[in-house]
Amino acid sequence: MSTKRIRLWDLPTRVFHWLLVICIVASFVSGQLGGNLMDWHGKIGLLIVGLIVFRLVWGLIGSTYARFSQFVPTPAKLKAYLQGEWRGVGHNPLGAFSVFGLLALVGIQVATGLFANDDITFFGPLYELVSKDVSNRLTGLHKLSSNLLLVLIGLHLAAIAFYTRVKKDKLIPPMVRGWKETD
Amino acid sequence: MKSKLLLGLIAVTLAGTVAAQGKPEDAIKWRQSAYTTMGWNMARIKANLEGTFNKDDVVKSANVIQAIANSGMGVLFPAGTDKGTGWEATRVKPEFFTNKEGVGKVAMAFNKEANEMAKVAATGDAAAVKEQFGKLGGTCKGCHDDFKAKK
Repeated sequence: MSTKRIRLWDLPTRVFHWLLVICIVASFVSGQLGGNLMDWHGKIGLLIVGLIVFRLVWGLIGSTYARFSQFVPTPAKLKAYLQGEWRGVGHNPLGAFSVFGLLALVGIQVATGLFANDDITFFGPLYELVSKDVSNRLTGLHKLSSNLLLVLIGLHLAAIAFYTRVKKDKLIPPMVRGWKETD
Repeated sequence: MKSKLLLGLIAVTLAGTVAAQGKPEDAIKWRQSAYTTMGWNMARIKANLEGTFNKDDVVKSANVIQAIANSGMGVLFPAGTDKGTGWEATRVKPEFFTNKEGVGKVAMAFNKEANEMAKVAATGDAAAVKEQFGKLGGTCKGCHDDFKAKK
């Protein structure tokens, strides 16, 4: 059986992914430390808005494996995958849940952040559009969803470790270089 | 007649006690007002750091925050005010009333940075004000994280 190399993740998808990693780490750190770093927290948040918007557009017009339609997890695909009969390339049906879940949570995170306030000096750029009470509630959601996001990121990393070690499917090199060896 | 006088005396004494310590509702209102006033002045310092730096405004704000920080606001948290409504429902966590050591720590940190803020503001050095402003805001956050409930 010969293997062939395919271009799995195109450059924009990879740049998006790693920029998002950097931004999420930076936003967690700046949000936890507070103080003058809240200025950066806000700026990074806006950058993440841009990244998410890009990914949504790229999910429609990007290259094959970046498109949502290629990996949207239908019940049939999911069943096949769980029975070990899925032979596709790209995001597997279970991994696709992770992709959509992470995109949705990061989306919620930045959306609530835009309206948030910290009762000290931070007021999101759209704070003016809502009442203080609504802003406070969205700030609470922002905090809550950041915890959920941490859980999901933990799951994401655990899954990568599982595929690399147990299933002998190295997921990281294709996300760095773009190429993947397939049957 | 005598008993009426006595009753009246008791009533006046009680009223006096209430006025000194405040009804729970008043205590909550007063402390919320104090934090809101500090919020205004934090916002004013921030506006000065982001726009034109006006030393006088920054000094005024730093002095207000320092004065409130040193006003002994602890008395505005009498037992039983972990719940209740002042201008709005209080968001203080029950832990505030049980973790005396933790509260003492964040309160001391805040006092120290508020005093320092007033000193730095008096120098008129915008860069130093910015740095101290970050430290001061950090001590607000230190208390909010542990003792202020999220909505």
